Amino acid sequence: MISVGKSVNSQQSIVNIKKYFPLLPVYGIYLLLFLIGIIYPEMWSVVTLLAFYCALGQAFNIFLGMTGYVDFGYVAFLGLGAYGMALGIDVSHQTGLNIGIIFIGIILGLLMATLLSLVVGAVALRLRGAYFAIATIGVNEGFRYLIEGAKLWGGSEGLIYFRQLNEAMGREKTNVIVTFWADVFVLVIAAISAFITLYYMRSKIGYALTALREDEDAAKVMGINVTKYKILAFITSASMAGMLGATSWGLKYTHVFPADVFEIHYTVEGIVIILLGGAGTLLGPAAGGLLYGLSKYWLGAMFPGIQLLIFAPIILIIIVAFPEGIVGTMKKKIKGTVLERYIA
Amino acid sequence: MALLKLENVTKRFGGLVAVDKMSLEIKEGEFIGIVGPNGSGKTTLYNVISGVYFPENGSIIFEGSDITKLPPYRRAHLGIGRTFQIPRPFSSATVRENVAVGAMFGRLSVNVEESLETADYYIGLVGLKAHRDKISGALTPTEKKLIEIARALAMKPKLLLLDEVMAGMHPESIEKMIRLLKEVSEEEKIAIVSMVEHIMRAVIGFAKRVIVMYRGAKLVDAPAQEALNDPRVIEVYLGKGIRDA
Ligand SMILES: Nc1ncnc2c1ncn2[C@@H]1O[C@H](COP(=O)(O)OP(=O)(O)O)[C@@H](O)[C@H]1O
Ligand SMILES: [Mg+2]
Repeated sequence: MISVGKSVNSQQSIVNIKKYFPLLPVYGIYLLLFLIGIIYPEMWSVVTLLAFYCALGQAFNIFLGMTGYVDFGYVAFLGLGAYGMALGIDVSHQTGLNIGIIFIGIILGLLMATLLSLVVGAVALRLRGAYFAIATIGVNEGFRYLIEGAKLWGGSEGLIYFRQLNEAMGREKTNVIVTFWADVFVLVIAAISAFITLYYMRSKIGYALTALREDEDAAKVMGINVTKYKILAFITSASMAGMLGATSWGLKYTHVFPADVFEIHYTVEGIVIILLGGAGTLLGPAAGGLLYGLSKYWLGAMFPGIQLLIFAPIILIIIVAFPEGIVGTMKKKIKGTVLERYIA
Repeated sequence: MALLKLENVTKRFGGLVAVDKMSLEIKEGEFIGIVGPNGSGKTTLYNVISGVYFPENGSIIFEGSDITKLPPYRRAHLGIGRTFQIPRPFSSATVRENVAVGAMFGRLSVNVEESLETADYYIGLVGLKAHRDKISGALTPTEKKLIEIARALAMKPKLLLLDEVMAGMHPESIEKMIRLLKEVSEEEKIAIVSMVEHIMRAVIGFAKRVIVMYRGAKLVDAPAQEALNDPRVIEVYLGKGIRDA
């Protein structure tokens, strides 16, 4: 009896591990990026650029890709994350917590972004797709003007906290953290977001999100509390963005200016990355992040100043030619083959 | 106690009264046919019962509790399932995933693995086995209707509202479908209300009771034979001879 039970159990866990095979190519990409950056230090800045775009896509995809809702104010979560890091470091740098203050900053960034997502979600996610999208336009600008107008958190002067970091951790440690570990954290956040994406996909949450993305009324009639699942995806996505803003901006640059971190073009870049890679897929944001980041970097070097003129039409052509993105198209091609097990 | 009870339910669209002071009782496990000319309010009635629209007047009682203000997903949890006149499968998902959604979120809250098993059962039942892993958007309209039926059955409803699921099917398929529905209805004690617009002959075959709707109101509610021979019903169909319609 016991051995039967055991074999059933181990079979179960094999099935469960197999469910997570699609993480392999995603984590392969992130590991490769990391190794390239380590082995060729001159490549580190390109690696960090790519890591940021992958993480942005991976985090945003949990909401935009999985629900089909577009949040034009998404960058506000990153912006608040960056302020979370700034404020966290500012209040805790004299506590003797040493590098612990960074984790306070990350957690504060996560909390601030999550709190905003709760407020925006509770109000705007009752609206249908297009109305939601319209309602989110300007959330980021609103924050910028609030901070500047009310002289909140240093107003338009922003917050600069390099000195505080040095005080808390010493010059050398600070240097390593802002030039190396901040970027490693970004890759870790991309990896966490990917894991959550797949976990959602494989659970009831993913089925609910697919259903509501396809047909919200039919989903409701099937018994799905669509508002609940939309808010869940929104909060998850926002909290990842909060951590991303905290590390890739707050920690890396050791300063935050409202004019920098509430820029809508980051939202647009996130949308483009997801569309290029394949909305709602697991591998898509990583593929889209690489493609977008590399093209932008390369075109910037080849055609400085006019890169956008060339870039925008190319993106448009790719999106029109592959409306389901690179990975969405690929998934259809490999249906029924062994590869199917590794791509989600 | 009636499974479903409508009391004076009215649903308007602007000036148009789509459902007009409708009262109705459905008993557990009952098999009811509903007929009525186009635009007589049948689909709207389904929408009001399943919660897609809220009525302006009247109340809807399900198993003794008032569900008039309940959102559709809560009604699904209580056991109200339906199909759509124009099939609405989640088109990017496979047939199996579609039907599994019904099982997962319907009356019983079931985990993913069990839902997929339930899905396989109902996919087999409606004869879609060969299409199980296909993307449902790629299927034919008739196959999509079968997905809808399987998905609704997987919800384990107590009341199932079928909106013209047999329209456009071959006569043999209709016969098979009716037999299948009858069996499931008896086996799982599901009350089924089925719309049978253009196939009057079939109505008599399966429904003990027939409701005839006309201009949003219930014109006749009687045993099948009696309803179809009712002079008012014949008049509604302009003397066309309802049995030949
Ligand atoms: N969403 C809607 N908005 C406006 N009018 C509607 C809507 N749905 C149905 N109607 C109208 O309500 C009446 C009843 O329609 P319907 O319930 O679809 O009838 P049936 O299903 O019996 O053909 C029709 O006149 C139709 O045009
Ligand atoms: Mg209709």
